[in-house]
Amino acid sequence: MNELQFASRIRQILNQGTVSLRPEAAERLRHAREAALARQRHERAPVLVWADNVLGNGGWGWGALSARVLLPAAMLVVAAFGIYRWQETQRLAEVVEIDTQLLTDDLPIDAYLDRGFQNWLKKRAAEE
Amino acid sequence: MMVTSRAQHRPWGRSDLASRSELSAFLESVERRAFKQAVFAVRDEQAALDLVEAAMLRLAEKYGDRPAAELPMLFHRIMQNAIRDYYRRQKVRSLWTTLLSSLSPGRGEDEDHDPLETYEPSEDREVAPPPGVGLEQSQVLEIIEQELARLPARQREAFLMRYWEELDVAETARIMGCSEGSVKTHCSRATHALAAALKARGVTL
Repeated sequence: MNELQFASRIRQILNQGTVSLRPEAAERLRHAREAALARQRHERAPVLVWADNVLGNGGWGWGALSARVLLPAAMLVVAAFGIYRWQETQRLAEVVEIDTQLLTDDLPIDAYLDRGFQNWLKKRAAEE
Repeated sequence: MMVTSRAQHRPWGRSDLASRSELSAFLESVERRAFKQAVFAVRDEQAALDLVEAAMLRLAEKYGDRPAAELPMLFHRIMQNAIRDYYRRQKVRSLWTTLLSSLSPGRGEDEDHDPLETYEPSEDREVAPPPGVGLEQSQVLEIIEQELARLPARQREAFLMRYWEELDVAETARIMGCSEGSVKTHCSRATHALAAALKARGVTL
């Protein structure tokens, strides 16, 4: 007897075993099944639910569409623009500060273009 | 599978999701086998019933909106996880019991407690009938169930998923969270062990 024949014979016998289950156990299983069915999840796929909400359950009215889609979209655009402007201001302030420090320093600004001065700075930093 | 072919004709939408009657039919078809498998694994009917009940609830609550064709895989996966959790809880419980009993010294009645007095041989250790004796169908069933319960857990899982639930190798591998190769290995080891055990107990199929 090969593996498949053996297995199918075992399956037959095991299946007989499920028929002659103790009545209490069978009853408890039936109760469990009914309890589970009573709590079956009926939600549809999230995308469909969203689409349903957007278009409104009743129809395709523009009023519902503007309240549900256009308003949040407009708010999103305004918020994004605000964040962009704020970041730009921050960046400008930093640049201004660095420039001011450079220009008001005792050291002439051309010194930073001098290769020898840069090497000297690096060497000093290494020594310290 | 009938359910699959019907679902495939529907391109999208709710119609291929499991309806109440489909879920009901699926649970009804699988509940007894699931119960038996849980009994093989945890060797306790009450615990097995609890496990099946919890798995059914979980399937219905969490995955009741999934296509009917996915239900078998999901259900068996939930069952296997539940059984593994049960083992883990048992281990933790027994660890605490040993720890606590070793921490509480000198409990009088425990000192002169003789384990042999309360020792009961487990029923599956009974003497094998002499080979060749014709066995009743119910006895054969009992012996097969005992030997299945004695198999290593992974081997039994693979064998039952493949040959009782009639899932294919890929599905079994996904349920068990291992490679298809190890499913085949577990299956063939289980088959050989089971065949040898049955032969030793004089069962001819």
